[in-house]
Amino acid sequence: MSAAVPEPTPQDAPFGAAARAVLAVLARYREASIALVALVLVAYFQARNPAFLTTAELSVVLRDAGEIALIAIGETLLMITGEIDLSAGSTFALAPVVMNLIAGSGQPLILGAFVGLLIGVAIGFVNGVITVRFRVPSLIATLGTLFFVSGLAVTLAHSQPVATLVQEPFNVIFGENLYSPTTPLWSFHTLTAFTPFLWAFAAACAVAVTLRWTTFGLHTIATGSNMTGAREIGVHVERTKIANFMIAGGLAALIGIINAVQYTSADPIAGGSGLTLQAIAAAVIGGTSLFGGSGTAIGTLLGAFVVAALNNGLVLIGAQATQSDIYLGAAIVAAMILNVWTGTFRMRAR
Amino acid sequence: MSRPPEVRPLADDADVILRAVHVHKSFGAVTALRDVNLFLRRGEVLALVGDNGAGKSTFIKILSGFHQPDGGTIEWEGAPLRLRSPADARALGIETVYQDLALINDLTVYQNMFLGRELKARLWGLVPLLDNRRMRREAREYLDGLGINIPSVDSTVALLSGGQRQSIAVARALRGTPKLLMLDEPLAALGVRESAHVLALIQELRRRREVSIIMIVHNYSQIFEVCDRLNFLFAGEIVLDTPTSATSEIALIELVKSGLGRAGVR
Repeated sequence: MSAAVPEPTPQDAPFGAAARAVLAVLARYREASIALVALVLVAYFQARNPAFLTTAELSVVLRDAGEIALIAIGETLLMITGEIDLSAGSTFALAPVVMNLIAGSGQPLILGAFVGLLIGVAIGFVNGVITVRFRVPSLIATLGTLFFVSGLAVTLAHSQPVATLVQEPFNVIFGENLYSPTTPLWSFHTLTAFTPFLWAFAAACAVAVTLRWTTFGLHTIATGSNMTGAREIGVHVERTKIANFMIAGGLAALIGIINAVQYTSADPIAGGSGLTLQAIAAAVIGGTSLFGGSGTAIGTLLGAFVVAALNNGLVLIGAQATQSDIYLGAAIVAAMILNVWTGTFRMRAR
Repeated sequence: MSRPPEVRPLADDADVILRAVHVHKSFGAVTALRDVNLFLRRGEVLALVGDNGAGKSTFIKILSGFHQPDGGTIEWEGAPLRLRSPADARALGIETVYQDLALINDLTVYQNMFLGRELKARLWGLVPLLDNRRMRREAREYLDGLGINIPSVDSTVALLSGGQRQSIAVARALRGTPKLLMLDEPLAALGVRESAHVLALIQELRRRREVSIIMIVHNYSQIFEVCDRLNFLFAGEIVLDTPTSATSEIALIELVKSGLGRAGVR
């Protein structure tokens, strides 16, 4: 249902009509407001330092955005079901460590990646079971696995980064290169530099389709919106939650592997709670409700871009690296206020 | 409102579709159902009456698969009934309109109507995706057919009135063409006009005698309007089982006032 836009009267046309149309779009598509924020940010950084909109800088922003987004998309699904996963950053570190250890022992890299992914999914399963069956709030359950998995990664790697081998075409698919200014823009080499973002984009599209056009997506929303009601009508809410934990774990493992391929090593202390919290911030900025029942993958992807742009853009315009957290914090609070406000506006507009 | 067509009485030899024997259920230290014995004939409309906390909703939630009984047996169409979840019950043709309506506020009218029974179409003959267009159309047609007035099947149910929400919950249950329909206070959230509409709907179902109905009602006059029989539940036991034709609203009120069941229990 679209918000009614009344015929413009002579007094308020044309500006009034345009403003109303913009408001109507913002009310209709929650992604629109966050896209607007992203555009304003880009324009601001570009105005302050023209180096922002260059391939070199954007490859960094998009790489970070992809990294945050893949974890944030998993968090989005979980937040829609009313849960959260604090352990994603640890899974991000453990999966590539396992992959590289397996590859280092003479097995194919792809086998290592497969095992790493499985471990991510398994961690998600454990998180889900602890939350659903043992009724431990996911905030606490995944706080436990955050430390457990992180400790496991550091122990397995003997506190040292583990080198990633090169076995084509695996490395090409999972993001071989970091972009360097001497690379020609339109080349395969450049494309592989954007791998994290391409994977994140693909994942965002897949999740968007899932939420809109699959039974699983519908049941995910139903579970978070009204768990008792969903159960009463025959939705298997426990299974739905556990499955979403497994997807989130798998996505965290995937981006961990991509990251290790790009940097040619798996650092057992990479990711961690910092990355997880940035991902949760991205989901919140992207319009996902912390109370369950609503959120979009595309909004989250945009939210991840905003977080990455803030992190990198502020440095580019001369701010101290440490200052970016100040702005990120303000952005999270502003996004939440905006969410509440546009939510009210959306209700009125109908 | 025109006078509804007469309802013929239920044949005495109509077969029993549901029989509960010695069903009991506790939640921790609280006994919700002590010993429920109940039967229901095909096409019959049974009222479940009793005070708050008597166990009415618990019993309905056992039949809907939401709760599992601690003991006793339930027979459904002559065979033992074992429900692991509400999905099992719905698959057998047991539909429930819960007191809380079980509507999902963040989903649209048509999504709510098809929740748990989604229509799918295969993309390129392979990937099963939701057939949103067909669900939207069928929801619209179904609601229109029942005379339920909802402006748009695309609006989220959070934006609808209490009566509209109730209507959607009832429509969802009926769309499953149930053999047994259970209604937990179907008129609680409704105004006078909407109540009359739902009662007329139940009366029509009763006239056709195709679906058996168990309804929890607090308003005694409504019981005598649409129900064949009433069972009075007190402290987890059924203490009175009588055809509505054998008693009257006044007699029922007198019975309750005189402390019905208290002598029989304990």
